[in-house]
Amino acid sequence: MEHKYIEIKGLSKIFTRKKESVHALENIDFSVDRGELVCILGPSGCGKSTLLRAICGLDTEHSGDVFIDGRKVIKPEKTRGMVFQEHRLFPWLTVEENVAFALNGVDKDTKAELVQQHIDLVGLTGFEKSYPRQLSGGMAQRAGIARALVNDPELLLLDEPFGALDTFTKMAMQKELKQIRKKSNTTMIMVTHDIDEAVFLADRIIVMSPRPGSIVKVIDVDLAEPRDRNSYEFLEIRKEVFNEF
Amino acid sequence: MTGYTAKKAGYAIEYIALIAVVLIVWCVMAGRGTLNEIIMPAPSKVLDTVTELIGSGVLWTNLVISVVRVLKGYFIAVVLGVSLGILIGLSKHAERLSVLIIQIIKPIPPIAWIPLVILWFGIGESGKVFLIFLGSFFNILINVHDGIKQADEKYIEVSKSMETPFFKHIFRLIIPGAAPNIFTGLRIGLSSGWMCVVAAELVSSTTGLGYMIMNARQFGQTDVVIVGMLTIGIIGKLMDSLLRAVEKRAIKWNWSE
Ligand SMILES: Nc1ncnc2c1ncn2[C@@H]1O[C@H](COP(=O)(O)OP(=O)(O)OP(=O)(O)O)[C@@H](O)[C@H]1O
Ligand SMILES: [Mg+2]
Repeated sequence: MEHKYIEIKGLSKIFTRKKESVHALENIDFSVDRGELVCILGPSGCGKSTLLRAICGLDTEHSGDVFIDGRKVIKPEKTRGMVFQEHRLFPWLTVEENVAFALNGVDKDTKAELVQQHIDLVGLTGFEKSYPRQLSGGMAQRAGIARALVNDPELLLLDEPFGALDTFTKMAMQKELKQIRKKSNTTMIMVTHDIDEAVFLADRIIVMSPRPGSIVKVIDVDLAEPRDRNSYEFLEIRKEVFNEF
Repeated sequence: MTGYTAKKAGYAIEYIALIAVVLIVWCVMAGRGTLNEIIMPAPSKVLDTVTELIGSGVLWTNLVISVVRVLKGYFIAVVLGVSLGILIGLSKHAERLSVLIIQIIKPIPPIAWIPLVILWFGIGESGKVFLIFLGSFFNILINVHDGIKQADEKYIEVSKSMETPFFKHIFRLIIPGAAPNIFTGLRIGLSSGWMCVVAAELVSSTTGLGYMIMNARQFGQTDVVIVGMLTIGIIGKLMDSLLRAVEKRAIKWNWSE
C-alpha cells in the first residue's frame, strides 16, 4: 500500500497523574511528505511538545499511531534529530563535547571535522570550549541545534528552537535552516509561536486549538523562494494564519 | 576596590571571631585561677604540651599512624562504595536485593561492632581498618546510589534519542551527572572514617591519636587529651578542604569562575 513519509493517525494523549488527568491531544491526523517543512502553531499548553515527543518516539503511551516510512514508531532513533524546547545541553560537557556526544561510531578526525563544521554553522565559533552555563540562552539553543544537526538526520524535529534568539540572529538562523534543507533535503517539523517565522519557513502550517490540542486548520504556504516578508502574498497568508487566533 | 578589600577583611574577622572569644574567655578564667587543672588545663599548659609532643615526635608518630589507618579503610570504602553504589543505582534488581540490608546495617554505629571485630580480626591492624571502612562505606554507597538514581530524565531522553551505546551512556552521562553526589559521598565518607579513628583505636591499640587520648585520660593528662582532640579536628578539617579542592577541579562545570 502507498504511504506517506510520516503518517500520524488518530493520535490522542491523556496524561494521568494520581486522580487528575490532562487531555493533551485529541485525534490528531496528518501526514508529511519527504523533504517537507511543516510548522505547528498553537497556544501555549496545547500539546505541541507532546506531539513532537510522540513523533520522535520518546513517548509511546498514547492512543493512535505514528508511522515513519511505513513503520510504526516505537522508540527514538538517531535518524530523527530532536531540538528540545529547553536546550538540554549536558552541563558537564563543553559545547564541542556536547555536539560530539551525538556522534557514535565515527572516527576521530571525521568527528572533529563534523563538530567544528556544525559549531561554525550555528555561529558559535570561539565558544567550543565553553560550558553551557557560560553561554547565553540563545547561544545554548544554537548549540542544541548543532547537536541535533551533526548526525545529519533524515527528520529534524524542532521545538521552538529560535525562541530565545533576538530578531537578527533568528532571521539568520531561519535562512540557515532553509540552506540545510536545500542541501540535504531534510524533512522538518517545527513548533513555533511566531507566525512570521512559520510563514517564512513552512510549506504547510498546522494550527492547533487549545487543550485538548486538535488540528483546527492546515494552511498551505505556496510562496516562491526567496520569500519576501513584506510582499503582498506573504502578508495575506500571515493574515489568514492570524485570523485563526 | 577598597570596598571589596574592606568586605574581605570583615569576612576574615567573622571567621575567627568566635574562636578568639573562646580563647580569651579561656585565658581569662585560667588567669584568675578559676579552672581546675585536671578538668581544664590553662591554655599556656596546652601550648607547652603541644610543643613538647611535637618536639619529642610523639604527636607526629601517632598522627601518621592514625592517618595511614584511616586512608587504608577509606580507600577500600571508596572502591567498594563507588562501584556498588553505581551498580545498585543502575540495576533495579541489585537495588531491591540490597536495600533492606543496607538500611539495617547502616544505623549500627562502628563502636557497636567492636566486640565482633575483635572476634573476627583479633586485635591486629585489620580490625581497625575494618571499623574505619564501616564508618565511611555506607556514606559513600548511599550518596553514590542517590546520585545515579537522580539522573535527570531530560538528559536521559537526549541520550536515548541519539541511540547512545550503553557504556558511553553510563560513563559520559550517568556518572558525570552524579559527580556532585559522588563527591559529597567521598567527603562525608572521609570525615566519618576519620571520626571512627578513635573508636578503631580503642581496640587494644598502643599507637595512634585515639590511643594517645585514651592513654592520657588514664593518667589524668587532660592537656594531652585536648591536644589529641584538637589534632583530630584540625586534620579532619584539612582533609575536607583538600577533597573540596579536588572536587572543584574535577567538576569545573559546576562552579562559576
Ligand atoms: N509529563 C506530563 N505529565 C502531565 N501533564 C503533562 C506532561 N507533559 C505535558 N503535560 C500537559 O499536557 C499539556 C500539553 O503540554 P505541552 O508541553 O505539549 O504543551 P505545548 O503546546 O508544548 O506548550 P508550550 O507552547 O508552552 O511549550 C499541558 O497542559 C501540560 O500541562
Ligand atoms: Mg512546548
